[in-house]
Amino acid sequence: MKAIIAATIIGVVLMFTGILVKEKKGIATLAAILFFLLLGVNIWELSTLDANQPQAFFNNMLRIDRYSVWFNTLMTACTVLYVMLSGREIQKVGIHVSDYFALMSFMLVGLYMLSGYSNMLVLFLGIEIISIPQYILAGSDKKNLKSSEASLKYFLMGAFTTGILLMGITLLYGASGTFDIARFTFLQADSLNPMALCGIIFLIIAFAFKVSAAPMHMWTPDVYDGSPTPFTAFMSTVVKAAAFIAFIKLFHISFNSLSGHWTMIIAVITAATLLVGNVTAVFQQSVKRMMAYSSIAQAGFMLFAVLSISATSWQGLIIYAVSYTVATMGVFAVLMKLKDFTYDGFNGLAKREPLLAFVMTIFLLSLAGIPLTGGFMAKYFMLTAAVEQGQVLWLVIFALLMAAISVYYYFRVIIAMYFKQGSPEMSSPVTAGDRLVLVATAALVILLGVAPGLLLKFI
Amino acid sequence: MDLLLLATDQNTPFNYFPIALQLVVAIGFVIVMMVVTHLLGPKRRTSDKLINFESGIPSVGNARQPMAIKYFLVAILFVLFDVEVIFFYPYAINFAELGWEGFKAVLLFVAFFLCGFIYIVKKGALEWEE
Repeated sequence: MKAIIAATIIGVVLMFTGILVKEKKGIATLAAILFFLLLGVNIWELSTLDANQPQAFFNNMLRIDRYSVWFNTLMTACTVLYVMLSGREIQKVGIHVSDYFALMSFMLVGLYMLSGYSNMLVLFLGIEIISIPQYILAGSDKKNLKSSEASLKYFLMGAFTTGILLMGITLLYGASGTFDIARFTFLQADSLNPMALCGIIFLIIAFAFKVSAAPMHMWTPDVYDGSPTPFTAFMSTVVKAAAFIAFIKLFHISFNSLSGHWTMIIAVITAATLLVGNVTAVFQQSVKRMMAYSSIAQAGFMLFAVLSISATSWQGLIIYAVSYTVATMGVFAVLMKLKDFTYDGFNGLAKREPLLAFVMTIFLLSLAGIPLTGGFMAKYFMLTAAVEQGQVLWLVIFALLMAAISVYYYFRVIIAMYFKQGSPEMSSPVTAGDRLVLVATAALVILLGVAPGLLLKFI
Repeated sequence: MDLLLLATDQNTPFNYFPIALQLVVAIGFVIVMMVVTHLLGPKRRTSDKLINFESGIPSVGNARQPMAIKYFLVAILFVLFDVEVIFFYPYAINFAELGWEGFKAVLLFVAFFLCGFIYIVKKGALEWEE
């Protein structure tokens, strides 16, 4: 709750700095400091929260427990890292720099609500708060036609899905007479109400859209490719993690006893997501577009957390969200330094910028799930949860196969950097500060792979 | 009538029978009215009647012209502040019951809106000439 208030105030403050401060660099520095303060507020909230006593706010509409606050803290830390990695690129997008940071702060408010909601209305509010700034950020490069296309496409499809989400919530309310996710009464009924089942399917569709799972993934490549690169980095990581925690919360807490009805639907969605994401990524020529498909593929792995109801999947979600977020932000930070986003643009990067090529290799290895990186532990936890559950072993084997395919397109970048001749054009010089943050990020990826337990200490 | 009573009696999807009935009546009304006016009404097509209606002013050119985004901006800001006022109606009705707690909540709401208002004024959204 403290974090929600703090993030709102920071958002409003950042809005007004754009009027008072005209210098872009000053705004970016202020934003970094304020996000750092927000991280402090989160840690403060974590330290004051009793481990066994969830706190309830607003007539029990928001229930904050240890897990959700720890998730918030980690995601805020990722945001701080993101601002440090791509602050300079955000300044280059347009003239309304303060607004971009303000919108990110508001998106964090949405994230805090999604991790702590215990009422369908707060879920709806959180999803809207996190989506609307995305529509704006996607179109923030106003002179670029692709950016406008991304924004419009995302807005129209997102608004339509919001309708489906609302319809699902309405049907559940009609079936149970309550919005409280812990008190859906149809769960105790002998015969399941068809209305409730319809509502659950509608919610699956809406959530699958928000996490860009197939077959509701159609918007993802165009939106991620068209949006300004720094905002793609934010949308495909922190926001996706927020959608996932809302997804797992609802399906594990509310629909736990009905898992027989929806496990197979989610399993099919997972298989389709893995297949579409990985196979289509192979055929891309642009690394940015490849990362869009890769984010679909990674969403497929994260769906394993929803699929298998156990403590392992909750732990796995945190590990997956953080290691995927850190590695993806790193990849995008390197990508933004280059002028040409195609694979050929990376030719010979190892000669020109050996450090950049090296950290990029680590990030890509993590995304591919090679041992000793965060990505490996993340995939390990997800698949362990599925094996423990035992119902969908075929899916686990399929996922391993797909992970093997993903190695191909991640390694294509590494091969271009190390084994091909060329002189890549840089969009901006790589400063000492950039190098420092990139190395720290790469070290974090390795650390997560060696000691993933660090992420589970505070739950 | 018995059917309706039954519908309100049990806690089944049959509960929604009145809603379905209302839906049928609503759609039926529209269809009937459209068909009836079509069949009964006299048809006199003149060139004046077929042109687009533009508030009594002779229509000029095509509707699909680029126009200043300012119209849209002012319209959307109007909607925003109009919705703000709508929230006051339920508050006004429950004014006494909600007491100071409700007053504080409304004050907070207005404060946020005021922030937005100052923001758009300072950003120059309402400046017509540039």
